[in-house]
Amino acid sequence: MTRPIITLRDVQKYYGDYHALRGITAEIGEGEFFSLLGPSGCGKTTLLRTIAGFEDITSGAVLLDGQPMEGVPANRRPTNMVFQSYAIFPHLSVAENVGFGLRRRTDLDRRAKQTLVEEALTMVGLGGYGARAAHALSGGQRQRVALARALILKPKVLLLDEPLSALDKKLREQMQFELRRLQRQVGITFVLVTHDQEEALIMSDRVAVMFEGQIAQLDSPQNLYRRPLNRQVADFIGVMNFLPATVSVEDGQGINADVAGLGRAVIDPEQAPGGATSGAACVGIRPEMMSILYENEQTDRRIAEGVVEERAYYGDMTYYDVRLDGIEKPVTISMKNIVGRPVLDRGTATRVSWDARSLVLFNAA
Amino acid sequence: MTLKERLGRLGRTEAANGYLLVSPTALYALLLLAVPLATILAFSFWTQNYLDIDTTLTLKNYQEAFGEPLYRQLMLRSLMISGAVTLATVLTAFPIAYFVSFHVPQSRKSLWIFLITIPFWTSYLIRVFLWKVILGYNGVLNATLQGAGLIDEPLTFILYNANAVVITLAHAFAPFAILPIFVALEKIDRSLLEASQDLGENRLTTFLRVTLPLAMPGVVAAVLIVFIPTIGDYVTPRLVGGPNGLMIANMIQTQFLKLNNAPLGAALAVIAMLLVGAISLIFVGLNRRFLRGPK
Repeated sequence: MTRPIITLRDVQKYYGDYHALRGITAEIGEGEFFSLLGPSGCGKTTLLRTIAGFEDITSGAVLLDGQPMEGVPANRRPTNMVFQSYAIFPHLSVAENVGFGLRRRTDLDRRAKQTLVEEALTMVGLGGYGARAAHALSGGQRQRVALARALILKPKVLLLDEPLSALDKKLREQMQFELRRLQRQVGITFVLVTHDQEEALIMSDRVAVMFEGQIAQLDSPQNLYRRPLNRQVADFIGVMNFLPATVSVEDGQGINADVAGLGRAVIDPEQAPGGATSGAACVGIRPEMMSILYENEQTDRRIAEGVVEERAYYGDMTYYDVRLDGIEKPVTISMKNIVGRPVLDRGTATRVSWDARSLVLFNAA
Repeated sequence: MTLKERLGRLGRTEAANGYLLVSPTALYALLLLAVPLATILAFSFWTQNYLDIDTTLTLKNYQEAFGEPLYRQLMLRSLMISGAVTLATVLTAFPIAYFVSFHVPQSRKSLWIFLITIPFWTSYLIRVFLWKVILGYNGVLNATLQGAGLIDEPLTFILYNANAVVITLAHAFAPFAILPIFVALEKIDRSLLEASQDLGENRLTTFLRVTLPLAMPGVVAAVLIVFIPTIGDYVTPRLVGGPNGLMIANMIQTQFLKLNNAPLGAALAVIAMLLVGAISLIFVGLNRRFLRGPK
């Protein structure tokens, strides 16, 4: 990580009796694209608002660029925010919206401000839209105006509160890409709040997964997906099958697991990021880490036997629920629909191949 | 296409249904608003000879209305008084509306609005008389101030003059000003205020740059709602205005009922309506600037 631009030290926040933030400690680096990911009500927006200065914290500390922010109101913090509703001023034109924060820049004359506004609009792809009335914009355009309005002030940190949730799928994907490009171009630290795990994985350098006012795991997208610390994180990021297992740990060496439905396996300690103890445990495996073997297909991977219980055809992929011998709950397996792989019917007896390296070990529960 | 076919087609359209729905109200408005207005307008171009109305068209009434200094003075005073009433009402209503909208918890807002309207359950006339009691020579206000030793002589500038008219009317029209301003403030998306702060403005400049401009439609509505009826108010100046607090409506009444000169009264009424209309149009025009469109 680069030099920290945001430092959160044991941030606690109560709303009356409700404990909204339960000790958040994290550092966010300069120029980083950082995401706060979690289900609604997990405190991610509250955390963003404490950084922006819209919420006081009950205890702990928020530091921006090394400066403690206690008692500093939102208008004097080096942060700018893109609101979920975009908060475009309806009584102002696009250019007036974008130039709103420039009024205090007494070092610039009117012409210089106009140039800045036009540059900012061009940067977000709205060059020439300055004279338009703000209410005549589409959702995607409002989003861009909100971005230009925040970025024109060159904040140290740009805070984005679920900025893409109101857009349709196509536009959202396009904006994800553009946000990422914009962030690289301006080099400003972006902190994104989202409940969409895919969005967080696509866009971020690092992601903090939050549950109930706490950070459950703070990691790179790849580590979050491959080595989730616990079942809650694993379940929230993508899809994972959980199988009961019995584990015996041999003094710091390999971990021997007897996994229901799959059989015996030796698991690398790296694949037990939450630590491992002997006894009852739980093993996770992603749907794409297993494959269904077609009749004459050969493999040097491990094989389990099962029956297709249900299938869902997505066009490029087919998701199968396969009940493996020895366990009640079927496992989900995703298969790319390539030539030579017909979509299997329900009730088809099938062989499933898997690899011990793709197993993740969790403590029981 | 025959007439019958046309009528049949018309009967089936949305528009016909609409006309049918509004027709009772439209008829009522036509009979009780348009007809009297047209009568007033007609009268203003006629003249009265003792008991007969001379229906020859003439501009004599308007010449007299504009020529006579008394009428001009009354018209000007009416404008000044209702201007002062409007200013006082809107300036006091805004903080109340702001407080209820921004500082009263959501669940209590309707209660507050309800409480604000309670004084207005009593008749307008009774409230005017009450102000007489409060402002009078031996009234509540003077007695209190004297009792507190703040004044030796009762204050006389508070009753039977223009001040009394302004105070009474400002009170009478307060809820009509509070409500539209409150509604306009309620409609302001609170994230706009946060956005303004986020962009570097403090609370005062946020109010000036965001809250006030967005509340302007409500303020303009309040101005119109207070200004239009007060300029023609007749009861309040009659009861608390004294000789120097009389307004144009009192003169119109005098012309019609006492001086037996309905045409001149009608001309004064028409002039007053035109003035109000012109001033209202200016405010509506101002409002356009703040109403660039819905959010």
